[in-house]
Amino acid sequence: MDTAAIEAARVAVRDGASTCFHCAEPLTPTVVQVETAGVRHDYCCAGCAAAAQWIDQANLGDYYQLRSQPASRVGTDIVDLAVWDRDDVLDEHTRDVEGGREIVLLTDGMRCAACAWLIDRALSRAPGVVEASANAITGRIRVTWDPRRTPLSSALQVLVSLGFRPYLATGAGREQLRRAGRNRELLRLGLAGLGAMQAMMFAEALYFDSTGQMPLPTRDFFRWVTFLVATPVVFHAGWPFIAGAWRELRHRRLGMDTLVATSTLLAYFASVAETLRGGPHVWYDAAVMFVFLLLAARMLEQRARNTANAQVDALARARPALATRELDDGRRETVPLSALARDDVVLIAAGDSVPADGVLLDCTVAFEEALLTGEADAVVKLPGAAVFAGTVCRERPARIRVTHVAGATRLSQLVRLVDEAQAHRPPQAQLADRVAGHFVIGLLLGAVAVYLAWRVHDPTRALEVTLAFLVVSCPCALSLAVPAALAVAHGTLAKLGVLATRANALETLARATDVVFDKTGTLSDARLVLDGSTTFNGADIDGVLAIAAALERNSLHPIASAFAQVSTDMTAREVEERPGLGIEGRVDGKRWRLGQAAFAAGELDDGQLWLGDGLRAAARFRLRESERADARAAIDLLKSQGLDVHLSSGDAEPAVAGFARNLGIVDALARQSPEAKLARVRQLQESGRVVLMVGDGLNDAPVLAGADVSIAVADGTALAQRAADFVTTGASLTRISAALAVARRTRRIIRQNLAWALAYNALALPLAAAGWVTPWIAALGMALSSLTVTLNALRLARVPVR
Amino acid sequence: MTILLLLIPLSLLLVGVAAWAFTWAVRAGQFDDLDTPALDMLSEDRSDAPGNKADDAD
Repeated sequence: MDTAAIEAARVAVRDGASTCFHCAEPLTPTVVQVETAGVRHDYCCAGCAAAAQWIDQANLGDYYQLRSQPASRVGTDIVDLAVWDRDDVLDEHTRDVEGGREIVLLTDGMRCAACAWLIDRALSRAPGVVEASANAITGRIRVTWDPRRTPLSSALQVLVSLGFRPYLATGAGREQLRRAGRNRELLRLGLAGLGAMQAMMFAEALYFDSTGQMPLPTRDFFRWVTFLVATPVVFHAGWPFIAGAWRELRHRRLGMDTLVATSTLLAYFASVAETLRGGPHVWYDAAVMFVFLLLAARMLEQRARNTANAQVDALARARPALATRELDDGRRETVPLSALARDDVVLIAAGDSVPADGVLLDCTVAFEEALLTGEADAVVKLPGAAVFAGTVCRERPARIRVTHVAGATRLSQLVRLVDEAQAHRPPQAQLADRVAGHFVIGLLLGAVAVYLAWRVHDPTRALEVTLAFLVVSCPCALSLAVPAALAVAHGTLAKLGVLATRANALETLARATDVVFDKTGTLSDARLVLDGSTTFNGADIDGVLAIAAALERNSLHPIASAFAQVSTDMTAREVEERPGLGIEGRVDGKRWRLGQAAFAAGELDDGQLWLGDGLRAAARFRLRESERADARAAIDLLKSQGLDVHLSSGDAEPAVAGFARNLGIVDALARQSPEAKLARVRQLQESGRVVLMVGDGLNDAPVLAGADVSIAVADGTALAQRAADFVTTGASLTRISAALAVARRTRRIIRQNLAWALAYNALALPLAAAGWVTPWIAALGMALSSLTVTLNALRLARVPVR
Repeated sequence: MTILLLLIPLSLLLVGVAAWAFTWAVRAGQFDDLDTPALDMLSEDRSDAPGNKADDAD
């Protein structure tokens, strides 16, 4: 790759809110411009530009037309792939196949089918790669390569240069099971479909003979053929229902499966009896259609659940397989992750992900926490700060002392949290289940009554009417109404970066009328902004700002962000960071110091930032914490959704008042202790309000627990408490209103579903009991109502536009 | 009506073939990824084009 050309194309600061052509992230001052396919585009970094150039030269430019999501940022970090050539890794994770060896990898950033397409093509063309296939749904890539022609690492270099980082595939067993299960379901559905179609055709022939002119042998021939087709459908495709009914009977808890299996088996065996004794009617068609349509509804619900699960997998994948441990005598050894223990010192190379939770040693390092928080910007950490497994170390290597390993890491906690929330059966669904249970008993008794009544009235139709009654009454729609909607809603929330820890929280969230913010850590971010400056000794303000900006240009220190907006063409040389004091360097031929008063200007330390030559002051800068970029927008959104916004902070009066004014919050209370915050929430609740509390989840656990519903904005802090009902995986505050919108839509859809299911049953039962519904119409109607409910729930999968 | 004796077994045979084909397709992983292959046919595969520049670019 011609890096010189990219360097040459690097252009100076440009303004305007344009985004990178490759990854659609906002452009930084150092824009890279590269011409591909005759058009010049802007790129955020040399990595993205190189990826775009590679794609163009490989004739894969169609990627940009095909994709439905922007690519992930490539960056300029150098990723060490040497681990992929280690014998112990290869022995464990690869297997021999024809033409070479095969390995299954996981990757992040495969966001849509076009990414999978690009990976397929790019890898297949790498020298030495025999075959490659990528799956966008599971994020897995299967690569077959010839070890004699190329090491695996050089093949994977292609992936890295396109912005996809390879990870060892874990959970292969679970993936295998899921795939096998899905295939089994699919087979059942397909066979049921084919069988139902055939059986309907034969049944149609029998229905056309309404005047009974068909010779008896022909009729019986048709019946036996239908029997042949219907048997595998009822017993193979319909097996989940029969097994489910058996389970329910054994546990003495009647449910939906009992009713389905009873209806199907009754229809089937009654038909067999009629076929044997040559009776007037058979109902094979009703039995097979029932099975087929119910399987279809079930498959749809399953799909909704799987989409939600994909999020968990994305979280679980980001751990490296090996870690570099430093021994007491300073030697280094590479050990598998499972061998790490507490208090080990681990080295992390730049561009590698952190193997375990720990405390940063030595020097300031930036970590990219995108996986945990969803934010792409790297977070700068000082020595002593907590570092989390799964985050990526940027720019320079880091040393950490391990505090938590394996299942105790924050990443594992998050994964478990999502798992729990999904496995937990919500009270609403439990209620629906109980209702369905009583309903089933009532219906079975009703069916007996209908049968007896029709025996007296018209014995020839008794069986048929009972069958129609049973089939039409099945409360499947009722049982599906709530879980289907919740499953889809949780998937959508996960996409938004909001994870529910309690199943019933969604319902309460939808009812919230007030939102109380805790200022620290929720509405503000840790970034510093310039609030004002004073100059001394005749220095001019633009000049000192430019000098300060030049000094801080390449610094990782949080103070640097305060000067990031200042544009300057001065450059600082011989820049040196003095930990605890400030920064020193040569600008325009003169030595400057920026930092605390004593260090920079020889004055008494006053907690502010000074610029000087070490003896005389040139300027003093006042810095303050900034509110989050989206705080104002988030609060306006919440207000437009009809919520009253409150601020309840532990900070001093003037700071809180200024903050509230900036954000347009009228009701702001300062100097609030946790008890006072809780009292405020209680007071609101007593006046009949439903309170949503948004906190950072650490010091306001009691308030979070005391509020009706709570959201913890997890911003790098440990997920120690479980008091919150929702946890956001990123700092963006607009997610709160998005989650609220999803909750409200979910409530609406659940109501629609329940109303529909109840209305359908209430209407259809009398009709069936009166004998106006034939069994096959009953099967169709019942399944259509289940499908309606599920499809209605799937509408929740649309992510609201932010 | 004797034609039925031929036509109906024939239709059963066809169902059998369809069921077998479907089973094979599921087992062979034809339904594993329903999104990527849809894109494949939209683009001309130019990997055999003269002077495959992908290799030079590495």
